[in-house]
Amino acid sequence: MASLRNLAASLNPATSTDDVNRAESREIDASTKWPAIFLLGSAVVWLLIGTVFALISSFKMHSPEFLGDYEWLTFGRMRAAHLNAVVYGWSVNASFAVAFWLMARLSRSVLRHSGLLIVAAAFWNIGVTLGIGGILAGDSTSIEWLEMPLYATPLLFLAYALVGAWAVITFRFGKSQHIYVSQWYILAALFWFPWLYSVAEIMILLTPARGTVQALVNWWFAHNLIGLWFTSIGLGAIYYFLPKVLGKPIHSYYLAALGFWSLAIFYNWTGVSHLIGGPVPVWVQSAGIVASFMMIIPVFVTAINHHMTMLGNFDALKNSPTLRFIVFGAVAYTLTSLQGSLMAVRSWSEVTHFTHYTVAHAHWGMYAFFTMTMFGSIYYIMPRILLQEWPSAKLISLHFWATAFGVTLYVADLSIGGIIQGLLLNTPVLAHKFGLQEGTDPVPFLDTVKAALPYLKWRSYAGILITVGHVAFAINFVWMIVRSVEVTKTKLTLFCTPTDTEVAAR
Amino acid sequence: MSDNPIKKDPRLDRSGLSDERLQEVHSILLREKPEPKEGDTPLPLFILGFVTAVIFAGIIYFVHYRGGLETGFHKAALIYDERYDPTKAGVAGQETKVDPVAQGKLLFQTCAACHQATGIGVPGVYPPLAGSEWVTGGDERVVRIMLQGLTGPLKVEGKDYNGNMPAFGPGGGYNLSDEKIAYVISYIRQEWGNKAAEITTDKVKEIREKGDVGRVKPWSFEELEAIK
Repeated sequence: MASLRNLAASLNPATSTDDVNRAESREIDASTKWPAIFLLGSAVVWLLIGTVFALISSFKMHSPEFLGDYEWLTFGRMRAAHLNAVVYGWSVNASFAVAFWLMARLSRSVLRHSGLLIVAAAFWNIGVTLGIGGILAGDSTSIEWLEMPLYATPLLFLAYALVGAWAVITFRFGKSQHIYVSQWYILAALFWFPWLYSVAEIMILLTPARGTVQALVNWWFAHNLIGLWFTSIGLGAIYYFLPKVLGKPIHSYYLAALGFWSLAIFYNWTGVSHLIGGPVPVWVQSAGIVASFMMIIPVFVTAINHHMTMLGNFDALKNSPTLRFIVFGAVAYTLTSLQGSLMAVRSWSEVTHFTHYTVAHAHWGMYAFFTMTMFGSIYYIMPRILLQEWPSAKLISLHFWATAFGVTLYVADLSIGGIIQGLLLNTPVLAHKFGLQEGTDPVPFLDTVKAALPYLKWRSYAGILITVGHVAFAINFVWMIVRSVEVTKTKLTLFCTPTDTEVAAR
Repeated sequence: MSDNPIKKDPRLDRSGLSDERLQEVHSILLREKPEPKEGDTPLPLFILGFVTAVIFAGIIYFVHYRGGLETGFHKAALIYDERYDPTKAGVAGQETKVDPVAQGKLLFQTCAACHQATGIGVPGVYPPLAGSEWVTGGDERVVRIMLQGLTGPLKVEGKDYNGNMPAFGPGGGYNLSDEKIAYVISYIRQEWGNKAAEITTDKVKEIREKGDVGRVKPWSFEELEAIK
């Protein structure tokens, strides 16, 4: 790298540091190329597989006879396979790639021995394949978010250990004097994940804690995997791509610091709030509720920071694919987090918990926030590492509108359905007050199922819409990699032709 | 650095790059905006107020709903709900009292196959339980019938019956515990207008161990007549 800079300086004394920086980041991008393509490629494959599993389980909710004769395709296995495919297959693979790319760029450090990283990524994907195969074969552990059988998990941990260590090494070799916000989040997440995963594996599967403690550990793990790993990587990506695409600094360092530390302090308590009313000591539940409440601080602070950065640049949403996905993700993060705080309120949890409402919340967070953010990041990263543009703006546009509209429909539909289901199922007196049923007697279970049925059907329609988006994305992705690179002219793949050159730089 | 990745890129190594191709690669480099930085806008004052207010509210909430900070799972788990009234719910941790008659009613579903849900039995085969002095009378006979069964002809309320009742006691086909036998007898003694006292588990146990231990043969009418 130094040689390149010297070369540039020796050829032209007027070479600006800006040009040198560009050459440097080009070199860093090139070093991340193969691991990133491998990780993102696997992620896209898992995304499609996970989507198929999702559709099958969704159809089964309203048409139980659908594929009902195949043991491997029963609901109990399909749902677990869907969750694991999209979480450990799609989301983790994508987050590894994004975390690596951001870490290398922001640390100003070339990725060393990238072949080793590909080996680690291969191990991860073999582990996930083994795990999901195990779930389909009926070896699920039946612990939510940890369904993968024990013969797959050591492989995952090993692969992660290598990936995590590599990211930290990349950071250590960095030349950057300044540690940017995105790096705080990514670095913290790299240490949080092994802690979460190993504690959960040991306390639930290897030497199981008994009784309610097991449920506590389970919720602690599942909620923190979202909050401390996916949220951290997602926020890290938003903090990078938002100012990067706009070409201006993030609004405030101090807000960013407050947001980061309050997330670090409060988030890992909040999982307990899903056990409200359960046989868990009341002070533990209350601590979880208060922590969920406190999450308003990082969410609010981060939202202000992002909004103030965006302010005056909303026009850019018209043409930049990255920005559009990232902003959608950032807004979804704010909304789903506030909903999470609301769900921890005892009287609200009493109505909505253990209904479809919780499912809607999970998809709002993992899909509308995290997955959309990853899409945005991938739209930015791929052209940089392949040195060529996305083949089709139309497909990107289709991808955005199908997934954005699909997930919005999904969340709105299941939230309403979940509230109705919850009122009938959990609080019949309240349901009577709202005119949902005659009398205040408990509602027969079958009636609550019938009431939820139309919402479950609409969930499937929303799922089909999202699938269309994913297929468009996958076509564009594969097309970009396999097509001939001899493009006669470079044209940025944007949604529309920007009018001024400033915007064209996006 | 020896393994300079740029050198590995065939497109950059290729000699005689066309002007267009050069421009293309440059444009990808040049459209890159500078790496993002944090701005130094200070924290707005209202944020401090907001954070303080949220923390204050959180502490108030926790103190109010701390549930006595009990580590035990019985009491602390229940009083999260302000509508919960411990005085109405019995002392937490104490064993709940079982209603033997209600339990017996559940178990009677097996008996109802012959004696019928109405307890009137089937004429000529299965004798009635409703109004039968065999049920409402002394403990000795009814417990024995339950434990080891009854076979052969018998007379109840002046009518003849000839059926076959299996053993329900421990070791028998149904293998009911003393406790469950007590529940069933307590139930049939208080249903269909019968008004006899409930029987205790201890009483069943006492009769079972009185000297018939190990008996598997069902009782006959004559044998039972001899027992008072």
